[in-house]
Amino acid sequence: MNFLIAGILGLGFGFSLNKAGLTKYHRIANQFRFKDMMVMKFIMTALAVAMIGLYALRGLGLITFPTAPATYVVGNLIGGLIFGVGMSLVGY
Amino acid sequence: MKFILNYIRKDTWSPYIAGILLGIVVILAVLLAKTLLGASGAFETLAGMIGKAISPKAFGTVYFDFIMPAGITWGVIQLVGVFFGGMLGAATSKTLKWGKKDAANSDAQWKRVFGPQTWKRWVLGFLGAILLEYGAGIAGGCTSGLLISGGSLLVPAAFLFMGGMFASGIITALIVYRKNY
Repeated sequence: MNFLIAGILGLGFGFSLNKAGLTKYHRIANQFRFKDMMVMKFIMTALAVAMIGLYALRGLGLITFPTAPATYVVGNLIGGLIFGVGMSLVGY
Repeated sequence: MKFILNYIRKDTWSPYIAGILLGIVVILAVLLAKTLLGASGAFETLAGMIGKAISPKAFGTVYFDFIMPAGITWGVIQLVGVFFGGMLGAATSKTLKWGKKDAANSDAQWKRVFGPQTWKRWVLGFLGAILLEYGAGIAGGCTSGLLISGGSLLVPAAFLFMGGMFASGIITALIVYRKNY
């Protein structure tokens, strides 16, 4: 049952990524050149919607937050720096 | 109804509509399965499983035993869903390139920058993906698992990661495009 949910949510995830054009190299490369702000608009909209929804549901007492990713400043930054090189080169 | 169907057939949606869809998916993941979405972690658990089958000693580390437990996890099934979801998205807009000649290398801008050879796309894709996965492993997540899921819980790590990602991404784009930046 849990795996069925995983599959369906994965479908929605992949579908939204494809429709936002994040599966195309030029979209991501042009985001880093600031010629095309689609990626940023997409990520920020998703963030805002998820943020409002999750905090509202927690406020209503319907959910508790799952374990959040840990913060370790140097590791997060270095990981991000390596990730950015790959993302800018490959564009996936 | 016809309007919605026509919209689904469009190749590129408004980023706001697609973003709202992804936001709802993130909320549903927490509501129904009590987990955060993610993509990079699934590759690590799969790699751990393959590694354990080949050399149990080398992969019997703390990382593959406790931080990223090897095996078919929720994330792996979700990743399979992502693959088919992407295909579904392409199929609805009739841009699915399965089995076509330029399927692996169809991006005009990529060809202009790096050359038209398909092997270059494969090699660069492989090397870049190693960087992606390695960086995501160090940071504790990728764009989806850390930036979007973590960011929606207002985790500081997400915003540190985004800063690092954009800093090096912009520098890489500057090097690749030079005067055409």
